[in-house]
Amino acid sequence: MEQWLLVSIVIAGYLLLTLTIGLMAGRRSSDSVAGFVAADRSFGLLVMYFVTGASVFSAFAFLGGPGWAYSRGAAAFYILAYGALGMAPFYWMGPRAASLGRKHGFVTQAQLVTGRFPSNSLSSLIALVSLVAFVPYITLQMRGAGIVIEAVTDGHVPLWLGAAVAYGIVIVYVLSAGAMAVGWTNTFQGIFMVVIAWALGLYLPFRLYGGVRPMFERIATERPDLLTLPGLTATGDPWTWGAYTSLIIVSAVGLMMWPHLFMKAFTAKDDETLRRTVILFPTFQLFLIPIFLIGFSGVLFAGQPPAPDFILPFMILETGLPAIVVGLFCAGALSASMSTGDALLHASASVVVQDGVTKYLDLDDRAQRRLMRGIVLITGGIAYYFALDPDSSLVQLLASAYGIISQLAPPVVAAMYWKRATTTGAISGLVAGTATAFFFFLNPELKLLDLHEGVLGLMVHIPTLVAVSLRTPRQDEGHLRGFFS
Amino acid sequence: MFLLKHHEILGELRVTGTNAMSLKTARALTIAYLALMTISITWPGLLPFARIEPLILGLPFSMAWIAGWVAGSVVVLYLLDRVERRHRQEGDH
Repeated sequence: MEQWLLVSIVIAGYLLLTLTIGLMAGRRSSDSVAGFVAADRSFGLLVMYFVTGASVFSAFAFLGGPGWAYSRGAAAFYILAYGALGMAPFYWMGPRAASLGRKHGFVTQAQLVTGRFPSNSLSSLIALVSLVAFVPYITLQMRGAGIVIEAVTDGHVPLWLGAAVAYGIVIVYVLSAGAMAVGWTNTFQGIFMVVIAWALGLYLPFRLYGGVRPMFERIATERPDLLTLPGLTATGDPWTWGAYTSLIIVSAVGLMMWPHLFMKAFTAKDDETLRRTVILFPTFQLFLIPIFLIGFSGVLFAGQPPAPDFILPFMILETGLPAIVVGLFCAGALSASMSTGDALLHASASVVVQDGVTKYLDLDDRAQRRLMRGIVLITGGIAYYFALDPDSSLVQLLASAYGIISQLAPPVVAAMYWKRATTTGAISGLVAGTATAFFFFLNPELKLLDLHEGVLGLMVHIPTLVAVSLRTPRQDEGHLRGFFS
Repeated sequence: MFLLKHHEILGELRVTGTNAMSLKTARALTIAYLALMTISITWPGLLPFARIEPLILGLPFSMAWIAGWVAGSVVVLYLLDRVERRHRQEGDH
């Protein structure tokens, strides 16, 4: 049998297994909004650990990570650096958000913020900001899935079809089972990804260079510029420390503000589970080491992939691995894409309906669930439309998505920890910060010290939040008691 | 210098033992670790360690340096959790 056909069969088997797990999980979930959005708050440690890890490690990490190591070298270390930093504060914030969620019935972070700062426009603004950040992120996941499938089937399954099939499956299980399906499929995909990454990350250096050390010794001699921090830009020029440092800061601040991650606080069974997940999270982060090794192994390799993001499928195909192994590796990359994509689709629907639509329309539980399913389809459709456009500026959009999403951090922190903050302060800060970030996204040449637009946004956001809050009347004591008892 | 501070914190945790440590101290030490980590893996704290040689476990020095801080955070958070858990059980938070 031809290699690509065999590979396709392995991938098809993998996709079928994912679908089965997703649909089976759905049978355990209740048919309510709390069931769809928060899985009836029932996730234990194993599921939580992989849900969080697998949703953080997306196609960006699995394909973009090796791509960065391959083309931009040490610049890729930023991905290793920010995760643990971004997650750690959640040891305290997670359980606090969870207890407020149980007390007031919150299932999204906008509900938490607007519970403290009552305002329909603030709620819609948060929903809008989240959605604007979500679409390019989902697009990237779909493109990732399409790229992998197209590359390994020798173009027999083109990008549009591969992305459509993989995401058709995702949409089926998200629609039918909501958070519960996302939880169980991510557990499966998370385990799969970790195994694949370590196996390939160690295999390639040994196969091509006789080990990890000999590989780096050779790169250090032949391409020292690549291993010197802060690495290179996409065009191969030296990167700046300002850009490197501020990208770590904005990613760390933004990480837990992604609604699909923050909402884990509301899906966890208890606080103990949340805290354990935070403690164990950096272990998931270390799985970037083999991811980088995959990329570095391509540096001194004779051939060249069509684009850096193709380095993983390229190395798999070029090193003459058996078809079944190639198929499994692709399934690993697909896991990365799908496990983030499903969480993103699911969260975007929850956010749009809970924080946008229901603020203006009175819908019952059933109607809300139905509407969420509609939004999953629409968001998926929009992202798919963009995924087919070979416009490479999407990666830039993702970096900017982090700039926007990080603007949710000040209002979330203020809602839980700063009594003196006011609704007007929170709105002013969010508007000023988002506008600043957007302005510098459009005018990158004006950026101070090459700092990320998200950091520049926060530099305007936080002072605005503080100054306006202090100039507006303090919130009612009775209202504050609901949050600080 | 940063390496030294890193060890001081871990050292203090060992000497004091997590049993005798107050919640305040544990939280302060955790926050100190995270602050130090932030400085050490970004500009300017990273500058002295932004080097290729010597390779650690085969990895470039800077990569191993960052990975070390990440691995260290598991230990710090685990120790913090022990103290926090004891205080929750005693119910005096």
